[in-house]
Amino acid sequence: SGGHTTEILRLLSCLSESYSPRHYVLADSDNMSEAKIRSFEQKRAETFSKSQFTLDRIPRSREVRQSWISSVVTTLYSIFHSLPLTYKWKPDLILCNGPGTCVPICISAFLLGFLRIKRTIIVYVESICRVETLSLSGKILYYFSDYFIVQWPDLKKKYPKSVYLGRIV
Amino acid sequence: FHFKDSLAEDLQSADLVISHAGAGSCLETLEKGKPLIVVINDKLMDNHQLELAKQLHRDGYVLYCNCSTLVEMLQSMDLSTLKPFPPGQPEKFASFLDKVFGFQ
Repeated sequence: SGGHTTEILRLLSCLSESYSPRHYVLADSDNMSEAKIRSFEQKRAETFSKSQFTLDRIPRSREVRQSWISSVVTTLYSIFHSLPLTYKWKPDLILCNGPGTCVPICISAFLLGFLRIKRTIIVYVESICRVETLSLSGKILYYFSDYFIVQWPDLKKKYPKSVYLGRIV
Repeated sequence: FHFKDSLAEDLQSADLVISHAGAGSCLETLEKGKPLIVVINDKLMDNHQLELAKQLHRDGYVLYCNCSTLVEMLQSMDLSTLKPFPPGQPEKFASFLDKVFGFQ
């Protein structure tokens, strides 16, 4: 969604074609990201002709200011919708950067790993907005991700298992 | 002013940008080298937007305020104190991932 999409597309900008095909997952309520993604992929296809991508949508796991209890219910609903996607794509890598959408996808990938169906590497990059505290997605995925990247030194101090590469977007 | 696909044109012709603290808005503006005043939205659940605005302000890249202090800021601001914003380095992220997957 919005800022998250801009950030993640920047993260993708320097990746080689080894990271292909790319499967984007959006919240069903997100109206702006699809255009940005298609524009990014179109430019990419000009350089890498065999470039491939897909776009899927899942129910949004949580609205801004939604209560904790109903958030658990809606997130479970989103996980239920994410499982067929993660099972279909069996990704080698999941790259996410914080919107609520990433939690159900990562949890479904984690479940597939737990069931020995597919071992996916989960890389989480906390948004550049997060200087001193982690987002809620970050707090959860700090424990589920293989690599947890932060963009400000204060967070590296507070979360020692994280990776600090400086500002990468 | 409804949603546009891109504000790039408007940004290019602006002399001053007043924006919320969303990462995309801030970064796009700073990268175009436009002076930026960031206005914080008090209504979002945890005011994390304040963290970025504060840090960018600490580093001398933006001015920041909230809705009620905007007018005062516009009257008293000195834009020459703002520093140019160095770009982020996504190539470092690419290198990092390449090492993880042994692509080098």
